[in-house]
Amino acid sequence: MPKSEIIETDILIVGGGVAGLATAIHLADLAAGSDKKPGILVLEKGSSIGSHTLSGAVIDSSTLKELLPGVDPKDFPFESPVKKEGVYFFTPKLALKAPFTPPFMGNHGNYVVSLGKMTRWLAEIAEKKGVQVYPGFSVSEMLYQNDRVIGAKTIDTGVDKHGKPMENFQAGNEIHAKITILAEGPRGSLMKALCGKLKLDRQSNPQVYSTGVKELWDLPEGTFEAGRIMHTLGFPFSFNHFGGGFVYGLNGRQVVVGIAAGLDYTDPTFDSHAALQVYKKHPFIAKILEKGKLLRYGAKTIPEGGLYSLPKLYHDGVMIVGDSAGFLSMPSLKGVHLAIESGMLAAKSAFEALKKNDFSGTQLSLYETLFQKSATHKTLSRTRNFRAGFGHGMILGAFYFATQILTGGRGITPSGKMKTHEDAACYKKLADVKKTFCEKFAKELVFDKQLTFDKVTDVYFSGSKHDEEQPCHLRVLDFNLCRETCIPKYGGPCQHFCPAEVYEIVTDLKTGKKDLHLHPANCVHCKTCDIKDPFGNIEWAVPYGGDGPEYENL
Amino acid sequence: MGLKIICLMKQVPLPTEMRMGADGLMDRTKAKSSINADCTFGLEQGLEIKKQVPDAELIVVSMGPTSFEQSLKKALAMGYDRAVLLSDRKLGGSDTFATGYAIASLLKKLGFSKESKDPFIIFSGRQTTDGDTAHVPSQTAENLGIPQATFVEKVEFKGDHLKVRRIIEGGFQVLKVPVPCLISIAPTATPARRPSLKGAIRAKNTKTEIWTLDQTGADASVVGLSGSPTLVSKVVDIQKDRPPVNMISGHEPKDLAASLVSEIEKVKDAIGGGHGQHAGAGDEKSAAGEKAKTDVDFPRVDFRNGARGVLTWIEMLGQTPSRSSLEILNPARKLADQLQTQVTAIVTGHNLKDVASEIIAYGADEVVVVDDPRLKEYRILPVAAVIAQWIEHKRPEIALFGATTSGRELAPRLASRVRAGVTADCTSLKVGEYAHRMKKTVFYPVLESIRPTYGESKLATIIGFWCPQMATARAGTFKILPKDPSRKGTVREFTPTFRESDFAVEVLEVKREAGGGDNLFVADIIISGGRPAGDHDDFKLIKELAQALQDQGINADWGASRHAVDNGYAPYARQVGQTGKTVRPKLYIAVAISGAIQHLAGMKESGKIIAINQDPQAAIFRHADFGIVRDYQEVLPELIARVKAGFTFGLATSK
Repeated sequence: MPKSEIIETDILIVGGGVAGLATAIHLADLAAGSDKKPGILVLEKGSSIGSHTLSGAVIDSSTLKELLPGVDPKDFPFESPVKKEGVYFFTPKLALKAPFTPPFMGNHGNYVVSLGKMTRWLAEIAEKKGVQVYPGFSVSEMLYQNDRVIGAKTIDTGVDKHGKPMENFQAGNEIHAKITILAEGPRGSLMKALCGKLKLDRQSNPQVYSTGVKELWDLPEGTFEAGRIMHTLGFPFSFNHFGGGFVYGLNGRQVVVGIAAGLDYTDPTFDSHAALQVYKKHPFIAKILEKGKLLRYGAKTIPEGGLYSLPKLYHDGVMIVGDSAGFLSMPSLKGVHLAIESGMLAAKSAFEALKKNDFSGTQLSLYETLFQKSATHKTLSRTRNFRAGFGHGMILGAFYFATQILTGGRGITPSGKMKTHEDAACYKKLADVKKTFCEKFAKELVFDKQLTFDKVTDVYFSGSKHDEEQPCHLRVLDFNLCRETCIPKYGGPCQHFCPAEVYEIVTDLKTGKKDLHLHPANCVHCKTCDIKDPFGNIEWAVPYGGDGPEYENL
Repeated sequence: MGLKIICLMKQVPLPTEMRMGADGLMDRTKAKSSINADCTFGLEQGLEIKKQVPDAELIVVSMGPTSFEQSLKKALAMGYDRAVLLSDRKLGGSDTFATGYAIASLLKKLGFSKESKDPFIIFSGRQTTDGDTAHVPSQTAENLGIPQATFVEKVEFKGDHLKVRRIIEGGFQVLKVPVPCLISIAPTATPARRPSLKGAIRAKNTKTEIWTLDQTGADASVVGLSGSPTLVSKVVDIQKDRPPVNMISGHEPKDLAASLVSEIEKVKDAIGGGHGQHAGAGDEKSAAGEKAKTDVDFPRVDFRNGARGVLTWIEMLGQTPSRSSLEILNPARKLADQLQTQVTAIVTGHNLKDVASEIIAYGADEVVVVDDPRLKEYRILPVAAVIAQWIEHKRPEIALFGATTSGRELAPRLASRVRAGVTADCTSLKVGEYAHRMKKTVFYPVLESIRPTYGESKLATIIGFWCPQMATARAGTFKILPKDPSRKGTVREFTPTFRESDFAVEVLEVKREAGGGDNLFVADIIISGGRPAGDHDDFKLIKELAQALQDQGINADWGASRHAVDNGYAPYARQVGQTGKTVRPKLYIAVAISGAIQHLAGMKESGKIIAINQDPQAAIFRHADFGIVRDYQEVLPELIARVKAGFTFGLATSK
């Protein structure tokens, strides 16, 4: 097998999303004055920048202004300022408008954006500043020297399903970097490996997630104006399930409609894609979408644990930014501005390290120090127990939240730190769920292909594609565990939690035995399976670069 | 000096873009482009040889606007050393004849011609997705004067020659091709490798060399719209009479089958009655391309300048003429009758005893027999020499070829040699006239060669005013005329002069499946399987369903995709698709077939199409009437049971 060729750079950034690009841009700016400009290499697994980017998104533009002081905010590629907002409580038939906006959820002064569009714009800026941006390359492993990170390696391609090199084998390249910055987004595969090896999350709460599922629709002019945003609570979520829905108006007659569903739910049959379809059938939403047409579909996980779930942000030769670390502000569910800020702080730390030619953890700890001192830290601190409280359901969660507001975030837990639980550990046995999600909505889950769509059709609208000739990038560690334990006990939750129909439970006609079948080509790279499998039996690994969804403006 | 490997490459709009538009249509303004799919296989072959000859220089060559640089960079990232682009406004509107000439001029300027001392190999893809002609490789080779092998799926580099496996009708031939040569690669060869990051970084820092036409020294009057011997006189949309797929729903296979049966019941009149498209489908289709008589009173000019007669080439499979050669006698006969002239058929081969009378019985007036032991197995160069000499000698006005892998390389190479226009893969051929507004002249009688284009979404009429007007006709489109043994005709012998270089390519091996599969052309129901159907049960269920239908008195048969044939699950004779058979049954059932464009080309004219595939993304669903997303192994047993109980998909039984 040909040997991997080595590429040298000063800074390697894995992930061409907002966090990675903000890091690159800020570092390039800081170094602009110095005589020796560092080489900054950004690698993105999507076929182009933005093709794997998915967010709501309503963003707080404060940190973007700090990142790009030379750019007139009027030139930011935003869809619209938030013009009109409402929070609603949904019963199965009614929509009750909240008389006021709940704390931390106000969006006055914020902007509706397409994050895909914004990342493409940031990438252009970064390239103009000399940053090397390469989309279409998957990074599959970290490189270490003892415990020091010395870079990473791109995936080998031209490998058959069984891992054997074929005629068109192309060895991945080792990239040796002084500092490697992980900006992979939520539940990154490198981040997971790094954390596992170095125990960076030793002192943190387990990270908890939601899965966001959304559709982009084209509506007749005047149906839902740009800049109008709606958040909803209640239906189709049960009282013990943290989750909500949203509708945002974009430019050009487009709206996004979606839900974010906390993954600490207990019902093994909960299905976020199905929940979105049911949500769209709510009279209030159905009316909005009545004359519209589906354009795109996508899904992505959201790290919601907050301050207490952040891991140690650095180690020898490595820093972690954005969603990879879990920078997200609850309850407003905003992470873009924090991704930018974490990137800028990491850039400052990297810049100092380059000046001193010291890339040890001790030197890079400046990143964490800067973060501790930041205003963001204060904001996150005030809601540090928010998500943990809602782990106890919506009603108790609201109660805890009220006490947290009164105590500046501390709440009534004696230690001041509420615990979260691994999402994967939250399931009840199928037999113990009184009325499952599937039973409850059995009648609703018929798809008319006008308003509602089956999963497979929606996946089609994600544009996802994968090379068939490669090892399955969803590694099921033990199929026997699926057959013998998971299916009998939980009914195979993977078939429900995956919003892209990657996992199918099939029944052998002759023996009646159930088994798991995979359709890896459908994967939209949301990572829910890596998080929510009850036995941690699925490992999400990167497929070949350029594979995966083709999101446009999601 | 070391070996140089050149790969010709074209950039085309991404096929997936067709499905990505908001309205479900291809939005060309936003269409992203990529390397033409077939070209990636050519690129890979170059890289494969580089593994053996590490100091070989790899050069990727393209012709088109500067936006092609994007794809050239990708080729560099895959491992090519140099990228050369011929880009000139003067080239706009060039047909394949002009393109082959321009590319060859560039290559000569780069130092590659038959006189070159240094060894070089030119690779290319088989054909492009936006043109679908497969002409340019042959025409480039002709202009360079070097041997060629097209539709190649395997290449072994042996120093001074290549051993290649080339697809032919009914099988393959193994050729020994001396270097220098041009090889076009079929998409069944090794798929292209992914670019490496190292390569991508190098590509970013490598400049594409951009050449103008003048720099190549080419004659500008032979290229562009005005220099091209063919022009597109008309493009009409093919009416897509196939409504969006009806996805059959149901949880259990039994439900799926039940629901399919009830859906079929609703349209059974359409299946049973209509769409029996066997007879002369090619002629019917032309109704869409019918043009009103010209309304201008320019003077009418017969541009043929004395050229007369319709020429066809009979391709021999051993001792029997190929099916497509007999098919081509149908349009040849009709055109000749209309033009009040003769059909001349040239037969090349060895020991051609009784063939001539048979060809006359199928519609030829005159048969020219070229019998030579060296012509026993088809090779392009000697056959091209025969026909070119005949054309120069007799000056026919029209020359027609079956669009087999042989016809599709022979016609363009000939066209470049005798300076004529050629149209690929036609589905209809007619006599018409053309009002040339610039020249204020109505040209007549022109051959209107009509062919599907733009991913089969449009029907283009191609004409030209250079004789012979050449075309290849898609296999399976024209019906073989009834054999009439009482027909009279003349048989002549013809002895051409060969050059030694005409035999530079050696045929090492020929493998042809013995006949068979012809029932596919007339079957009412065809059940075809893809590779998975072979992997799982060796086509057992597919054959069973076909058998069950036959037992009910239905003319049912089974076919296979290219991949299934390649893997030995079915003989080539049963291959449906562009390089196999084009079929039009009343009902086509695609089982575990993904729906690659090359397969679609062979079956999409079927009356109704049912697709059964586990992969909901499979392209086949976009071309089917009914879709079932499920493992066929679960669905077919249900259908077989229903057929055994009397269900015949709405078709009347002959029992």
